[in-house]
Amino acid sequence: MYKSILAAVNEHINSEVSARYAMHLAKSVGGRLHLCHVAEQEASKETIRRAEEAMRRCLRKSKEMGLAVQEIHEYGAPLDRIRRIVRAEGIDIVFAATRQEDVQRRLYAGTMARKLSVNLPCSVALVRVVHMGRIHPKKILVPLKARINHINERAFFAAKMAEAFGSDIFLFHTTEPVTSFFHGEKHFTPLELENRLPKDISLFVEHLDSYGASHEKGFASGKAGRRIVIEAAARRFDLMIMGASERSLLSSLIYENPVEELLRETPCDLIILKAGHEDKQSFGR
Amino acid sequence: MKINSLSVDEVFQALITSEEGLAPEEAARRLAEFGQNEISERRKRPLAFRFFAQLTHFLALLLWVAAGLAFLSDYLHPGEGMLTLGLAIVAVIFINAAFTFIQEYRAEKALAEMKKLLPFYVKVVRGGRQMDIIAKEVVPGDVIIVAEGDKVPADMRLIEVSDIRVNNASLTGESEPVSRITEPFDGEIIGSPNIAFAGTTVSGGSGRGVVFSTGMRTEFGRIAQLTGTVTPGLSPLQKEIIKITRIVTLIAATTGIFFFGIGYFIGRSFWENFLFAIGIILANVPEGLLPTVTLALAMGSQRMAKRKALIKTLTSVETLGSVTVICTDKTGTLTQNRMAVAKTADICEGEGPGATGFSSLDIALLCNNTKEVDGELKGDPTEVALYRAGLESRGPIEQIRIREFPFDPERKRMSTVTLVSGRKWVMSKGAPESMIDVCSRCLSKGTTAPLDGELRKRYISLYHSMMDEGLRVLAFAYREAEEGEIIDAVEKAERDLILTGMIGLQDPPRPEVAGAITKCREAGIRIIMITGDSSRTAVAVARKIGLVRGEPAVVEDADFVRMPDAELRSVLSKEEVIFSRMTPKHKLRVVNILKEEGERVAVTGDGVNDAPALKRADIGIAMGITGTDVAKEAADIILLDDNFATIVNAVEEGRAIFENIQKFITYIFAHLTPEAVPYILFVLFRTPLPITVMQILAIDLGTETIPALALGVEPPEASVMKKPPRPAHRGLIDRAVLFRGYIFLGMIGTVGVLFAYLSVLHGGGWRWGMDLPIDNPLVHKAATATFLGIVMMQVGNVFACRTQTESALRTGLFSNRMILWGIAAELLLSLFIIYHPWGNRIFSSAPVGTDVWLMLVPFVLLLFFAEEARKFYLRRTGRITPGRASS
Repeated sequence: MYKSILAAVNEHINSEVSARYAMHLAKSVGGRLHLCHVAEQEASKETIRRAEEAMRRCLRKSKEMGLAVQEIHEYGAPLDRIRRIVRAEGIDIVFAATRQEDVQRRLYAGTMARKLSVNLPCSVALVRVVHMGRIHPKKILVPLKARINHINERAFFAAKMAEAFGSDIFLFHTTEPVTSFFHGEKHFTPLELENRLPKDISLFVEHLDSYGASHEKGFASGKAGRRIVIEAAARRFDLMIMGASERSLLSSLIYENPVEELLRETPCDLIILKAGHEDKQSFGR
Repeated sequence: MKINSLSVDEVFQALITSEEGLAPEEAARRLAEFGQNEISERRKRPLAFRFFAQLTHFLALLLWVAAGLAFLSDYLHPGEGMLTLGLAIVAVIFINAAFTFIQEYRAEKALAEMKKLLPFYVKVVRGGRQMDIIAKEVVPGDVIIVAEGDKVPADMRLIEVSDIRVNNASLTGESEPVSRITEPFDGEIIGSPNIAFAGTTVSGGSGRGVVFSTGMRTEFGRIAQLTGTVTPGLSPLQKEIIKITRIVTLIAATTGIFFFGIGYFIGRSFWENFLFAIGIILANVPEGLLPTVTLALAMGSQRMAKRKALIKTLTSVETLGSVTVICTDKTGTLTQNRMAVAKTADICEGEGPGATGFSSLDIALLCNNTKEVDGELKGDPTEVALYRAGLESRGPIEQIRIREFPFDPERKRMSTVTLVSGRKWVMSKGAPESMIDVCSRCLSKGTTAPLDGELRKRYISLYHSMMDEGLRVLAFAYREAEEGEIIDAVEKAERDLILTGMIGLQDPPRPEVAGAITKCREAGIRIIMITGDSSRTAVAVARKIGLVRGEPAVVEDADFVRMPDAELRSVLSKEEVIFSRMTPKHKLRVVNILKEEGERVAVTGDGVNDAPALKRADIGIAMGITGTDVAKEAADIILLDDNFATIVNAVEEGRAIFENIQKFITYIFAHLTPEAVPYILFVLFRTPLPITVMQILAIDLGTETIPALALGVEPPEASVMKKPPRPAHRGLIDRAVLFRGYIFLGMIGTVGVLFAYLSVLHGGGWRWGMDLPIDNPLVHKAATATFLGIVMMQVGNVFACRTQTESALRTGLFSNRMILWGIAAELLLSLFIIYHPWGNRIFSSAPVGTDVWLMLVPFVLLLFFAEEARKFYLRRTGRITPGRASS
């Protein structure tokens, strides 16, 4: 799907980098790109000027890439305006950047990123930009948990992002070690983990194959968030793509939330995809 | 596509910046977006959680259960003092938790404070103006100006360079500076020559770069992140404490249940049995163990800090004592890191530069990048030493440098093209084995002679003999450029040179190192030297300091890389091992194999690349002066003076602390038997209640706390560094400790205590088989006699436990004044409990006469001298086991 992609741009550099990811996805899927700037009522002239400069740069870049692009400038509450645009333009996916201050809150509660993720009637890709030097990601890490929702869309997104940049995908699954009172923690070997591969991951792999995305697999035992950070840092991944957390705030407070940990600790750019399309939907295989 | 593959203009576009730099407002915005440019620690658990953990560890849970049972008992049978008991146990749990928590928190804070002392400033262009800012305020897009001696604050893409060379040693372990360019480079960022990485230093030239990643997202941060995410295993002491609590729980619970069952079968009431079970459990649980261990470690770490070793985690103190191998760097740790020219040598007959040439010292001065800044020489230590020697030999020489071909680790040479007295010269210096390839002649009697077979042999032999003296050797050469010669490539410069000779530089060993090495040898600790120097130099230095006596196994970097694990394992099992020409990145492999072989490894390091090895080792030791923040973060111990001898001092302290912990465990165990045996009589033989649960608590948590703590600060015994390290499988508690505590000292104590208890009962008219109610004054008096008996026997015990095998009479009464203060406190508290009405009320005690005190004195003396006899027997028979108490 993703025929219509919206990138939210503002005065912050993160949003511009996030828009670059949107441009490449649009190029990869042949979709139409909507560059959107919503100026809040209290925004200063300087803020608006900077955002407009960013829009101009994004527009120029989009045109250089040969994209069908539409520029949208609006005033008002960003969430309401973007929601209206999504409905009016039939947007399939929105790219928005998370900010440092978002990350400092538990599960970025109350932030614009969270509001967009929860309230927009389409898929949302929240982009955490941390590394400005890896402009075209060549190695993409896709951490997977045992149960995956919207498998097809997530596989499609990963495959198309990889296609856009000519990147390699590395699927990574972690499991908690089994503990016993007498023997302590038992960590499975990668071979044992592969033999115990959850069904959803096998399905994800099938979808990825069907989109022609080459990939490698890796397994590890341990705390998910920490293991993923180690993997991303140790193997110098350029980008990480993972699904949005479906844990409630309460369960995240009680148990650790890997998504939240990764938002804070990620050593490379991170895209958190809140998939909004049903699995039965066709993604243009 | 990455930042290194872009042109300079594209770099500006990608990072949305320009040559003018960022506007200050945009920089502030980016600072808010990307955070501060600093290496942050992993988010720690909130303080409340950490305090909570102190309340919920295994021993604490055990006490919670005891408190819960006491409260339940009070609820079902009010008025029997069980509420007070329950509250007392809860207080104990909180006191223990607070004590341990505060100690750990203080140690952590001390390190955090130290880190704050290290800010540094960088030159940045913002809004077209050059300014100095604190490095942690650097953001992506900033244009940074760096020059020789500067530390690179963040990963940056170079956009302008002037002969810039950076030393990546702290990142890659390569000790030689590498030159940088601005041209695009396809490939990984890490290997890109147009990138300057955070944490590296500029060793020559200058340049500008655009920052593309900061803080934890730099390469430096990546390693820090990896280091931070490696979960360190439990320290041996932590494992021991867990083991002890399990053993103790097992003993306490089994004994409690066993006697509960016996009591039930002989017809005692449920509540009598219940009270007994609680009593037995409390008598067996060493409640004071954790705070005493913590205090011993904390005081040990304070003593170490005074001896220049800063301990980051308390349990490392003890781990140090069990170290079997120390892998140490050479430069700065075994040596003083004060490079100086020690020797100059000419190859041919007839020294001197001749009429038209240069001497080695002249070239050392001219082919050199040392700068004088405010009267100080700045640059690489080797270059500074050469520059200084050149200056002293000949005075300043006017030159105009035309071109430089920086040092390259592949060719191991550096060359310059320079104008001296209006003539153009090529000057070169480098590793002797590489210089010979580009020289065709050598100086001889003021003229030159072909560098033929004989001279080559002489050259190599001279080179080897200088290395055998422990010198770092460099060779020097020059030639005059031909008329109109264009020297625009290194191959054109470095050819047909005239060899002038060699200079040997020496980094003198630290004077105290030889003694420290002897100490290690006596203590059965192997030392493995890991150095970037050549094998011969390393072996010579090792011989000079006594590290090597025979023929050591020497492994060079290239062999190391090729060597399979099995072979390396065999090399590492040898007595004397040296790794030469090594880079820090290989340390981790050495540490891994040593650990797999069951060794307890301490490893030193200062660079970022040392961090994984520091983390992996049982004890990571970072250098306080030359160490990077990442190394310090990864290490368990920071040496404030970078001195090897300090490590050995710390090992000695560590061993002493282990022994001290054993001493107070023995001391604590010794009172458990006299507490438990009267209870057994109470159940089995229906004697009156021999001691109340509150009195047991008064002993465990009151009277004997300070004497136990005092044992934790005993100075090291003279023999502590004469024994081999204790084997890994030997813990704090073994049969020897159990025998000495529970059986030997415990049983002698029990005899004394029972004598006092039964004497008081008998004197009061009690006879076997008589039932006395629990509130009978005679029962209170007899219980008090038991209490006093235990207290008195513990006075004897504390002196007996001061040594493990040496005579306690030789330690000196005043060598540990805390013991005396502890005994004074113990007796004062006992007086309060025995003679003050409040004490009597709280502890169900009653005053006893001086006859009870006097009847206990012979037993105290018996205990002390019996233990002296046991130690004497051990010394005579030589039954002294390494690093521990003996039986």
